[in-house]
Amino acid sequence: MTQKEILDELKAIIVERLKFDPRRAAEMTLDTTLPKGIEGSLGLDSLDFIELSVAMEERFGIVIDEGQDLADEFRSFDSLSRWILSKTA
Amino acid sequence: MTRVVVSGLGVVSPYGTGAKTFWTGLASGTCAIRPLTAIDTEGFRSRIGAEVPADVLASLGPSRRRARADRLAMAAAREALADADLSPTDRACAGLFVGAVGGGMLEAEAWYWEETRTGRPSPRIGALRAILPSTHAETLSSRLGLCGPKETVVMACASGAASLALGLDLIRSGAAPLALCGGVDALTRVCFMGFNALRLLDLEPCRPFDRDRKGMSIGEGAAFVVLEEAGHCRARGGRAYAELRGAGMTTDAHHVTSPEPSADGMVRAIEEALTAAGRAPGDVGYVNAHGTGTPQNDRVEALALARVFGPGRVLLSSTKSLVGHTMAAAGSLEAVASVLTLQHGLVPPTANLRVTDPEVPFDCVPETARAVELDAVLSNSFGFGGQNVSLVFGR
Amino acid sequence: MSASRRVVVTGMGSVSAGGIGGTAVVAQILAGATSPIRPVRAFETAGWPSRLGAEVDDAALEGLLDPGAARRLSRICRLTVVASRLAVEDSGVPRGPALGLVVGTEHGDFRSSEEFVTGYLKRGPSGLSPMIFPSTVMNSMAAVAAIEIGARGPSITVNQATVAGDLAVARAAALVRDGRALAVVAGGVDEMFAHVYRRLSEMGMLSPAAGRGTEGCRPYEPDHNGVVLGEGATFLVLEDLESARARGAVVHAEIRSAAWGNVPVAPHTAPRRRRDLHSPALRALVSAGAAPSAVGTCYGSGNGDPALDDWELGLLAADRLPEPRSLASRFGQHGGLGALRVAAALDRLNKVALSPTTLVMVHGLARGGCRTALLIGRAA
Repeated sequence: MTQKEILDELKAIIVERLKFDPRRAAEMTLDTTLPKGIEGSLGLDSLDFIELSVAMEERFGIVIDEGQDLADEFRSFDSLSRWILSKTA
Repeated sequence: MTRVVVSGLGVVSPYGTGAKTFWTGLASGTCAIRPLTAIDTEGFRSRIGAEVPADVLASLGPSRRRARADRLAMAAAREALADADLSPTDRACAGLFVGAVGGGMLEAEAWYWEETRTGRPSPRIGALRAILPSTHAETLSSRLGLCGPKETVVMACASGAASLALGLDLIRSGAAPLALCGGVDALTRVCFMGFNALRLLDLEPCRPFDRDRKGMSIGEGAAFVVLEEAGHCRARGGRAYAELRGAGMTTDAHHVTSPEPSADGMVRAIEEALTAAGRAPGDVGYVNAHGTGTPQNDRVEALALARVFGPGRVLLSSTKSLVGHTMAAAGSLEAVASVLTLQHGLVPPTANLRVTDPEVPFDCVPETARAVELDAVLSNSFGFGGQNVSLVFGR
Repeated sequence: MSASRRVVVTGMGSVSAGGIGGTAVVAQILAGATSPIRPVRAFETAGWPSRLGAEVDDAALEGLLDPGAARRLSRICRLTVVASRLAVEDSGVPRGPALGLVVGTEHGDFRSSEEFVTGYLKRGPSGLSPMIFPSTVMNSMAAVAAIEIGARGPSITVNQATVAGDLAVARAAALVRDGRALAVVAGGVDEMFAHVYRRLSEMGMLSPAAGRGTEGCRPYEPDHNGVVLGEGATFLVLEDLESARARGAVVHAEIRSAAWGNVPVAPHTAPRRRRDLHSPALRALVSAGAAPSAVGTCYGSGNGDPALDDWELGLLAADRLPEPRSLASRFGQHGGLGALRVAAALDRLNKVALSPTTLVMVHGLARGGCRTALLIGRAA
């Protein structure tokens, strides 16, 4: 998959599972930041990240180990999609 | 202030039927968490829990046609009433407070699974009549002839404790001299799947307060107590196990699943209970913790206890390490455990505890029960969604 | 009631098929004559025995929610959040540890339960949504509403058929009277969900039960033939009188007493001839130091369910209370109805020229025997 394709999949997850408005999702880019606490981010909290992890496991087949600290990877769509690429290569 | 005593106990636990069986299991530190058989666990990461054994379930009086949770509730409630040795007149004016979450969901799931998988209407649809949490109160009040205030309280993991707090208030208000209070939950697929999905379950039996703990273990059961105005109990020659001296009820209003990190909501509930009980932290020798075994709960609860009691100033242990997290039954099962702890002067241990988390600056009574003379015990139940109940029992 | 604490109502918020708003809007709705009951639009009812309902205007509801903040909220949680927020704004009651919340509901969030299990049935374990799971527990509405209104005192969810709202108000009055909170936002909520509607209809609980007569909501009438469902959330703000006065709140009326109890009949039944030897209605009167003759008006929970209507009429007559009025045809049967009946009681006390000692009773009775009685009077 390309990074763009992964971004599109992540946006679909954001809409279907995290219940974001499709119009808002259409405007999201690789630079969009994700976690709560960052100005202008999507404002995702711990519950959202668990949902996102489950969805990513289902969609990309990656197993996410709770023990890992993935704060950096989950910072933006860019960092997240790169991480997914590295796991699915 | 009106004094309220516990004059009857009734339990169905993963150890079996009866309050005595429950106590024997706790006192021996026996962990009842093992692979689940009552529901299909294929494909899930955590596949264990503390079930009421099939032969125990089969031996329960109430008809097998009833919902599993209803059967657990009836058996426990009947035992509590018989234990309190109440006359029909006394029973008639008793309030009824039932903590419940799952209701008859297990049987309704079986119907829905069958209908969805076969694509045809399933005869199990009758299960819908008993699906709601209020179904237990309907069954109990009808079968046991209870005419006092009837209320089903849904407060997630704090439901069972809330039922006792509200019963206490009722008796203190003078509206009724006694109340049957307790909680019940049977295993459900929704609960099992949900906590798995949230990654809150340990794949092994839970290890509350352990440095390497990974999550909770689910369980099922029912526990009811008879709360009674002390004078009323004495006058009829009833037996008082212990006194329910105070209760605190607060809400974090912070997040739907995570506890408030400062522990403010928990602290307020504990302090409210102590104040109502007329007790200072130093009077409490033991805390029966909420102690689910999740990294978050145990850390925040330990913080709350450190703030109220001071590090190391009180013993604590988790009943959930032994019988799992029994959801709506937890608060009432743990109330019974607290009462029996006081009565026997024996603190049940925390099972599976090898190395206490340094962030938990307390003696958590690992593996072996400990003889301790106690005047007052605190029991905590901190529900999903930040709804907190603390109870203080005294001798 | 405790001699030391008196309980008054200082505001309300309501979302129903009749409209959305606070005290003034509710008064307007009550003053109107139209019923919002009509064929259900939210889902297809073709082939089902019933097709009527009283639905909330979803566009109006969404207009009161910030999409970002409401993103994870299920529909029934949205109803609860909006109504409880309106109630708090209407009354001006402060947030904090002295503010409690009681939410009554009959069916809770079945929509979320269905969505959750469908994820598994369609796609296996990885199809499960951890985000939806908390909504499958009936206290989720109270949990999110507590966050919205900053209620950090006791927050309680009560589950009860037919009279969940009444029970919630009675429970809240007890919390204030017993000193557990200075103020409590109390009321009920239910939503119309296709699967629940369909099953109730097929079980014969909805009009036209047994397929006889025209479908409609005709409480207490000779041709009543079942319940018509509605949806919505209505919350009142109950407050300690002294505390309300100290902050200069508008006091609408006083809850002079609240009692509830049980007639031990078989679950789901309403035996018309069964008497109540422990009537909460009479206990409420004794508690308020009043005789049945002091009750000028009685609002009952009768909703067109023939057996339940008749049983309630019999019990009220035995207690020598006035014949009850129903609001079921104005809003449809749902958990918020009990709070709406208290709102109607307030409205009546403040509008109609009654003697200052006249009381209004809000009475509730459910199949299975749960019985509630609230006595409302002018705030002295």
